[in-house]
Amino acid sequence: MNTTIDFENNDDLAFFGKVNASISHELKNILAIISEAAGLLQDLTEMMSRGQKIELEMLKTCSQDIVEEIQRGFTTIKQMNKFSHSVDAPLKSVNIIEVIDLMINLAGFLSFASKIRFDLPQDGASTVSTCPFRLQNLVYHTLVFAFKSVGVDGKIEIAVHRETNGSARIAFSGLGILGKQPFPSEETKKIAKSIGAEIRMAENSQAIDILVPQYSKNSV
Amino acid sequence: MKVLLVDDERKFATMLAKRLALRGIDIEPVFTGEDAIAKAKTQRYNVAILDVKMPGIGGIELERKLKELDPGMKIIFLTGHGSKNDFEAGSAEAAFYLAKPIQIDELLTILNEVAG
Repeated sequence: MNTTIDFENNDDLAFFGKVNASISHELKNILAIISEAAGLLQDLTEMMSRGQKIELEMLKTCSQDIVEEIQRGFTTIKQMNKFSHSVDAPLKSVNIIEVIDLMINLAGFLSFASKIRFDLPQDGASTVSTCPFRLQNLVYHTLVFAFKSVGVDGKIEIAVHRETNGSARIAFSGLGILGKQPFPSEETKKIAKSIGAEIRMAENSQAIDILVPQYSKNSV
Repeated sequence: MKVLLVDDERKFATMLAKRLALRGIDIEPVFTGEDAIAKAKTQRYNVAILDVKMPGIGGIELERKLKELDPGMKIIFLTGHGSKNDFEAGSAEAAFYLAKPIQIDELLTILNEVAG
């Protein structure tokens, strides 16, 4: 088991690049809205200075949109920061709920993202000792596959369970049959193996389980 | 000139449409490729401004469908891609494109250019 993050490894680098590209796309969209809102405010100001009547409601909407988009930008940057710092330690105690939540948000920037219902575990036990970056990679790729299988109007469900041997089981269900591609790919299998995880797909291909050991061998 | 604007970022599309309308452009914003096709079936547009990345029918596929309905319709792409080269790698046919955030004067220049 090798959990050292290696950016000469194409899989690690490709994942890091892919996620950062989608974050930058999201930030551009946010800035585009702020830019249009500011431009519209400028247009309205010029109209006022020419003595033309403007609707007060339009001013309020523009200001509100700017405030909301700045907040959306801060949230996105916070997620980007969290993702970037996931390469800091190759092995650490990881809250699986937080990893899934972050990956749901980041994968949500993809244009083909579908809806997700994420059920929080009832037992509250959701911590494992693993490589956070690789676990993120695994969850993200599974989400991408799940999105493609149900389409943008579809909905997938995610739940986390603690197994009797202490490992965590991340269960994806409600998968569809659209654009079916082989899963897991060789790259995904390699990522899973690197953290001692196992990917199981249901025979009907409508559910995937990721089994994450409670402790990787390097951590005990 | 009648313009159809298609972008899934509703706030962006609504505000850009308002700004263009204030400059005398007859423009209609819609937020999905499906709605754009429905509109184009009932009305004739001289120009369509399309966001490249949208859920469902994306801008590149939408261009093809709109051209099937009206081969004379001119297309301008809006993209969040970093550079023209990045975008052209995705669509070799793209004649006009604008990277977000856009400059309104630049868009007006392109609109006048494509509308002849």
